Amino acid sequence: MKMIHSLFLINCSGDIFLEKHWKSVVSQSVCDYFFEAQEKAADVENVPPVISTPHHYLISIYRDKLFFVSVIQTEVPPLFVIEFLHRVADTFQDYFGECSEAAIKDNVVIVYELLEEMLDNGFPLATESNILKELIKPPTILRSVVNSITGSSNVGDTLPTGQLSNIPWRRAGVKYTNNEAYFDVVEEIDAIIDKSGSTVFAEIQGVIDACIKLSGMPDLSLSFMNPRLLDDVSFHPCIRFKRWESERILSFIPPDGNFRLISYRVSSQNLVAIPVYVKHSISFKENSSCGRFDITIGPKQNMGKTIEGITVTVHMPKVVLNMNLTTTQGSYTFDPVTKVLTWDVGKITPQKLPSLKGLVNLQSGAPKPEENPSLNIQFKIQQLAISGLKVNRLDMYGEKYKPFKGVKYVTKAGKFQVRT
Amino acid sequence: MLPHQDEKEPTSYRGSCGSCPVTVRKMPYLGSEDVVKELKKALCNPHIQADRLRYRNVIQRVIRYMTQGLDMSGVFMEMVKASATVDIVQKKLVYLYMCTYAPLKPDLALLAINTLCKDCSDPNPMVRGLALRSMCSLRMPGVQEYIQQPILNGLRDKASYVRRVAVLGCAKMHNLHGDSEVDGALVNELYSLLRDQDPIVVVNCLRSLEEILKLEGGVVINKPIAHHLLNRMSKLDQWGQAEVLNFLLRYQPRSEEELFDILNLLDSFLKSSSPGVVMGATKLFLILAKKFPHVQTDVLVRVKGPLLAACSSESRELCFVALCHVRQILHSLPGHFSSHYKKFFCSYSEPHYIKLQKVEVLCELVNDENVQQVLEELRGYCTDVSADFAQSAIFAIGGIARTYTDQCVQILTELLGLRQEHITTVVVQTFRDLVWLCPQCTEAVCQALPGCEENIQDSEGKQALIWLLGVHGERIPNAPYVLEDFVENVKSETFPAVKMELLTALLRLFLSRPAECQDMLGRLLYYCIEEEKDMAVRDRGLFYYRLLLVGIDEVKRILCSPKSDPTLGLLEDPAERPVNSWASDFNTLVPVYGKAHWATISKCQGAERCGPELPKTSSFAASGPLIPEDNKEREQELPDSGALMLVPNRQLTADYFEKTWLSLKVAHQQVLPWRGEFHPDTLQMALQVVNIQTIAMSRAGTRPWKAYLSAQDDTGCLFLTELLLEPENSEMQISVKQNEARTETLNSFISVLETVIGTIEEIKS
Repeated sequence: MKMIHSLFLINCSGDIFLEKHWKSVVSQSVCDYFFEAQEKAADVENVPPVISTPHHYLISIYRDKLFFVSVIQTEVPPLFVIEFLHRVADTFQDYFGECSEAAIKDNVVIVYELLEEMLDNGFPLATESNILKELIKPPTILRSVVNSITGSSNVGDTLPTGQLSNIPWRRAGVKYTNNEAYFDVVEEIDAIIDKSGSTVFAEIQGVIDACIKLSGMPDLSLSFMNPRLLDDVSFHPCIRFKRWESERILSFIPPDGNFRLISYRVSSQNLVAIPVYVKHSISFKENSSCGRFDITIGPKQNMGKTIEGITVTVHMPKVVLNMNLTTTQGSYTFDPVTKVLTWDVGKITPQKLPSLKGLVNLQSGAPKPEENPSLNIQFKIQQLAISGLKVNRLDMYGEKYKPFKGVKYVTKAGKFQVRT
Repeated sequence: MLPHQDEKEPTSYRGSCGSCPVTVRKMPYLGSEDVVKELKKALCNPHIQADRLRYRNVIQRVIRYMTQGLDMSGVFMEMVKASATVDIVQKKLVYLYMCTYAPLKPDLALLAINTLCKDCSDPNPMVRGLALRSMCSLRMPGVQEYIQQPILNGLRDKASYVRRVAVLGCAKMHNLHGDSEVDGALVNELYSLLRDQDPIVVVNCLRSLEEILKLEGGVVINKPIAHHLLNRMSKLDQWGQAEVLNFLLRYQPRSEEELFDILNLLDSFLKSSSPGVVMGATKLFLILAKKFPHVQTDVLVRVKGPLLAACSSESRELCFVALCHVRQILHSLPGHFSSHYKKFFCSYSEPHYIKLQKVEVLCELVNDENVQQVLEELRGYCTDVSADFAQSAIFAIGGIARTYTDQCVQILTELLGLRQEHITTVVVQTFRDLVWLCPQCTEAVCQALPGCEENIQDSEGKQALIWLLGVHGERIPNAPYVLEDFVENVKSETFPAVKMELLTALLRLFLSRPAECQDMLGRLLYYCIEEEKDMAVRDRGLFYYRLLLVGIDEVKRILCSPKSDPTLGLLEDPAERPVNSWASDFNTLVPVYGKAHWATISKCQGAERCGPELPKTSSFAASGPLIPEDNKEREQELPDSGALMLVPNRQLTADYFEKTWLSLKVAHQQVLPWRGEFHPDTLQMALQVVNIQTIAMSRAGTRPWKAYLSAQDDTGCLFLTELLLEPENSEMQISVKQNEARTETLNSFISVLETVIGTIEEIKS
């Protein structure tokens, strides 16, 4: 089973700006099939992730306005390849701060080094960020300054010790002066709210991301006040599954550095609180070239916390030419080409609810739109896990020092959509 | 510092890499010689060499130019020298360079090989590993003899990093040998390395063995190996786990007890955070437990959560593939995801391919409790800005209508009120399929139809509308007038298929409402026979014209004979499929493409390309159930059957026929199966369509029944045929004689004949 034969990176305007082959060279012309599919899809967002060509399959992902197109020669589990491509993109993000064409071109030598270590003969090898970083140091301004002074190299001369550890996700001999363990509980609410304000569908997608900087081989146990809240949990390989099954405790030897400990869902609908509501009235008059637009946004079931970072995005119907709106708070923009209205609201203060209202100019003579547009809402609530999940305690075994521990909670809107 | 030509840098970095040496484009690059000269000078400059950082910068520039497609082979010597360093980054860069240019400079390649060989015994394991990897990636003749020893040493290296490289190197070496002989000793060594303490070495051994033993069916997973791998599973990374799960599919447990032990060991992987591992584990469960349906069902219940999570994953590509698998599972366990139907509601920001999958899923998990909500949701999609998406939502409602007819027909009727072209056409097509499968809704459909002809422009929609008007015209008051409009505009009609449909529909309507239709039917037939340029349409016109000449009763008998039974399995949704029918396709590309489509893709790899079309539930919709449709397809195929062109109206006299028949020998004889009733008239007419004349035939019901046929092609070659039907034997014997012995045309003629007879046979049954 040969996994990935070649990789092409393609930007939105269809330039292949990087290619890497792990076996023989596959001609760039194979990408023509991809371009054809792209053309057919009209919008870059809609290019199907699996394309078959006479001699190959192209499996691609779309990330940060870039396509990672892998060339596959034999039948493979598609999920495997997709996950791997995302891992490559994550690694670039991690190394260069962003996964953009410019960043990749600027660091092309490191990119090649990385791809070389991540795959050999088409098979995934080193993909854990902490192990990769020992093989290839990421570029930082600070480091290049230090290097230029000391003349030291990007890479330590010693073999990364993690390669020899029997626990594949943790290197041996880790040492820190400050021993710290931080956990971020991040919950995203996916919801569809119908016209009348009632919930069509709501669900919480949660993750616990950890940043562990502990010396030696610490063995951690993390327990929750209310573990039964979690519906479907998937675990980092380090977690002892049996322990979770029997005691609902997360017990693990952590990887070094940043990693995702678990991800979970809370889907029983009565448990999903909806922290904002929207009052809306959007209407287009028959046989007239204008319409009215009026939305107000307010807090609801927000557990007394401030809702901030609110942005409302609306894809207006094609016949909308322009919008003349006034807002009580924040600022709005309307792009007459893409027909996207963006309202950057900021925080909600309950005393004065933010609103946006005014007139919509329509193309004259065109029939009035069949449907009102949906509102896409982004927001953030600090120090709250909307599901109510709470970490009870973190214990460490196997090492003697006292680590510094911390848990942060944040709730965000995921795909949060209000129909009007 | 840099020459100003730099501005012309090509945008593409062509890199080549470890395993593949040559990608360098030789492009005429103004000033590249100067660049090479300058770099060469810099590389030789002892001051630069002494300054580690400056030295490396020069090397980096060489690499950068190389990846941009400049020919940098001119500094090969200097670069090889630069590999003598303790700076690993510098070494890596030089290796990358050497692998790219060594095959282009075979005379210098030996130099590179020597350097690499030396580095393979460097005290630093990282250097050993890198050197070995680079060496294995030099794809040039003769390199085998140099790499064998370093690889063998590498397999026993104390650093796992080197062993990982060496193990994969074995496969590369095997490929260099031309895949011919399998080195038994090496294979044994690799099998023993499966016990290595480093998990990645273990997985690499599997990968390497799989490649080396490709011709013998790949790596063998026996009981000790299987259990060893199972025990190491938790130590592997996600990629290793996914691959080992795949290899374990080959292992067949000896006893039930062992089977359940294995399943217990694998349990936790169903909860892995990697969807690839979850799916791999699921597949293994399904395959291992193929004799225990309850275990299979249980597994599918347990992966429901992870699958649903993947369906709303941040990665749209993961969502897509997960959705494809959900559909696969629904084939066997309809209703498996019904309580989660809201998960499959589309959010407007999702890409199309996901929305289309979700609509398909929704359509499949409808039940009494959720049908209202699902339909409401789908109704919303029907007015989506994207016409494609809107149409697939309408088709989905059409699919649901087979079970919940009334509600769906009502929604579809409302949609007609929007008077949108792309909506109306699909609704009408849906109606056509629906009245066929659920005749009880015919009345409602007939009431909804008037007026929608104004909003249909495309061929598919027109065909559907015309078909409905023809078949159910007696219940639609204005049907003749709508068809009349089509007849008026037939000259400007661009789609032959629409004209065909129109002919059939009008003839049918003529049977039920002759007074209103006679005149325009005459006009249409006249047009089709005299003015139409499309052969198929003209032949159809002629066919009907002659049919009418036979008499109105005959027309009725043929056009309105009982339709095939709508309960026929092939028109209905495929019945629930057992899990075992698709378990081996799980976690492959099959669920993405659909099995049939996948088979064609893999079969015609190299011959033809197929786009990744998603299967639609309404795929059967295109061809109506009527007799002539069948004919139509056949007729269109005929011109393709060899270079045979039969001349029309080549009427032989009976005498001439008899004389010729007796003077010739039988050139071909064959027997076709034939069952049941037989209508000579139908056959005669069908033969006439393909320009085969009937000279004489027995009356219907005679036993045995005989017919004599003649035909002539454009070169003047005559084909004389005898058909002999013996109902008790259920077979039709065909004897063909030819006045010129030409096998090619004979074969074409016979295939034409077979097609016609086959078609008649089909119609009848």
